[in-house]
Amino acid sequence: MNRSRQQDMNLRQSLSKFFFEEQVPFGAALTRIFLPLMALLPMLMRFPRVRELYSSDGTPVQMFEVFGNGEVLPVLNPGPAIMLYSLMVFCLLCAVVGWRTRLSLCIGTALYAYFNLIDGIGTMTKYSVIANHLLLLLTVSPCGRLWSVDEWLRKRRSGNAVAVPQAFPIWPVRLMQLLFAFVYFGAAMTKIQTEAFFSGEQMRYWMLSNWNYENPVGEFVAMWPPVLLVSAYLTVVWEIVFGFLVWNPRLKWFVLAIGASFHLGTWLLLGLYIFPAICLSGYLCFVTQQDVMFVRHWIKPLKLRSSHLSRLVPEIPPVLPSSVTWTIAAGIFAATAIETEYRLDLFGTRSKSGRLELREIAPSQAQSLLAAETPLREKDKFFSFHLGSQSIGGQLANRRVNYEFGETVLVECNLNPPHEDMWVECVLEDKNGQPIDSIGQVLTREMLRGHFMYQLGSRLTAGQYSMVLRSAGTEISRRQFTISGEPPVCMANPQNYTN
Amino acid sequence: MSRTGRWCVGLFIGCYLGILTLGIVAHCLKIGLSGNTLSYYVVWDMFCGWNAYDQRTHLIAESESGRYYEVSEPWGAFRPYGKLGRIQYDVYNHMVSKHIDHILSHTKHEPINRVFVVQEFWPKQYNLPESLWKQNFGRERDKLSYYHLRAVCNNEGRFVNNYPDWLNQQQMNAVGDNPRLRHEVQQARASFGTWSIPTDSTSGMQEQNTAILMPSTN
Repeated sequence: MNRSRQQDMNLRQSLSKFFFEEQVPFGAALTRIFLPLMALLPMLMRFPRVRELYSSDGTPVQMFEVFGNGEVLPVLNPGPAIMLYSLMVFCLLCAVVGWRTRLSLCIGTALYAYFNLIDGIGTMTKYSVIANHLLLLLTVSPCGRLWSVDEWLRKRRSGNAVAVPQAFPIWPVRLMQLLFAFVYFGAAMTKIQTEAFFSGEQMRYWMLSNWNYENPVGEFVAMWPPVLLVSAYLTVVWEIVFGFLVWNPRLKWFVLAIGASFHLGTWLLLGLYIFPAICLSGYLCFVTQQDVMFVRHWIKPLKLRSSHLSRLVPEIPPVLPSSVTWTIAAGIFAATAIETEYRLDLFGTRSKSGRLELREIAPSQAQSLLAAETPLREKDKFFSFHLGSQSIGGQLANRRVNYEFGETVLVECNLNPPHEDMWVECVLEDKNGQPIDSIGQVLTREMLRGHFMYQLGSRLTAGQYSMVLRSAGTEISRRQFTISGEPPVCMANPQNYTN
Repeated sequence: MSRTGRWCVGLFIGCYLGILTLGIVAHCLKIGLSGNTLSYYVVWDMFCGWNAYDQRTHLIAESESGRYYEVSEPWGAFRPYGKLGRIQYDVYNHMVSKHIDHILSHTKHEPINRVFVVQEFWPKQYNLPESLWKQNFGRERDKLSYYHLRAVCNNEGRFVNNYPDWLNQQQMNAVGDNPRLRHEVQQARASFGTWSIPTDSTSGMQEQNTAILMPSTN
């Protein structure tokens, strides 16, 4: 009984230490500087389009509508929408420099959520959700007590320019860190539920999609399923263990480095820019007091003295309270945005020539789009057709065009779903196009690939051959290969498709 | 920190972690997510879906005089995540109506009779650049786009006719490519006798019966 009570006490103490240990909020301050900046990048891109994306004069489609709940949030007229949008931008910029930090984060976070929810088609994504969580947690954190205008003003008021940074309970930072553990664990569960993720097909098709920014590396890697297969398992394992390893001081930076490379990988392979930027900014919450001390030790020679700093920072006389200045600045920012947007005249409705005209298209072009539908070509039911000799995880691992007698030709065809149950044939032809051998198999509708094995036996002679893929009586693709060497005397493994 | 403050923080931490846990559990067990917008904030299903075909949407307006117009923003489409206009990310047609109405009401044009919503599909392997195509495919690059009429709208963007999505159509074709199954489907009759109770004795109104047999999409 006493032992269990002791364990209970230890657990409470551990939890209490985990959440309420006091530390200087270096991690929170760094996240405050970088995260709103990254969250702002896509929002700044949308600034000239507020009228179109978020106002009643445009086409906002709320997330609630996407989920079938109708218009839950009020859609504002263009004027108020632009004013609030500019206020959001202003607040997030203020959060970056730490001016009226908590108020800025509070307003900025609420407006960021609102504008994301208002446009479920062109604004809301999972990175917006992660950013929103982090912004909320920054709002309740003491992130403005370090490296901020607020702190500078506080020091100026107290007259103590070299005050030691204050320590605070660490729980908001812990929640940010836990958020990442939940995100990765949830993402791993999604992947586990997606069978095609572990065979590489899902990522291959995503890499070949042109829905994000350019991803030439992704297009190259997409054609090597074994790489996708191995990386799929590594990703899921890392996503699950992240939450268990990242609080270990010895493993923390190793785990985060893998995470950073994983996110950079999404940039290279999938053409994602903002998602990795948001996540890497969020990683800064893992920076602790000890980490900063360590870095400071190494850059000590470069450290500016307080006298140098005081020369850099201008002596601004305290004319108005910070809150009043902040309010005036926010008002000027919003007014400027409204006026600029009005002058921009996005839809061209106030131009001298009147409204812009729709582009007329040739009747033949329109008819080609509206004509009777073309049935799906047989060849479009197939993705690729390759020859090799080794497989990894049920996928062709290499590609070959030269074989020797006794070797096995492994033939793989990948299919584009959806497709019906298919009878697919593989035909071996000589260099004159004469069929030598043929074998077929049923590829059922749920299958994403089919394999044929052909052992090069003694009935063939050295020379050039073709392996032809046929379906529904039509040739889909052909691959040429060469057999060299001397035919063997006896054959092995009669179960294989062989001559 | 005061004792009360600590309790408040503890409550916040508990609620926050509870909500995150709920999201993971709901996602794993697939419960409580349908129609729940706020679940989007706690479910981490990035890149959950995929398909083998790339898709674009074309909006073609037919005027009273029989001319055709492209219904796209003359002021330039907003491209939220890459090279594609915003309408292209609306794969389930949530925005099409508003989009058509918005463009027609903000542009100069002759009277429009109807607007066709046409889907274009092609296999994703044709997205590969020429060099990679040559390396990986031993055949001619003869890309063919499949056009499919998804809907017809009036000049205010309201749907007049709606047709199945091309991919769903292909799926149905694949399943329907089975004479036995096709025969059984043709023989079968749906019965919805339990859809409603004729009259409720107390209120005198018809009530929806929740004990109904419905086909599931899961």
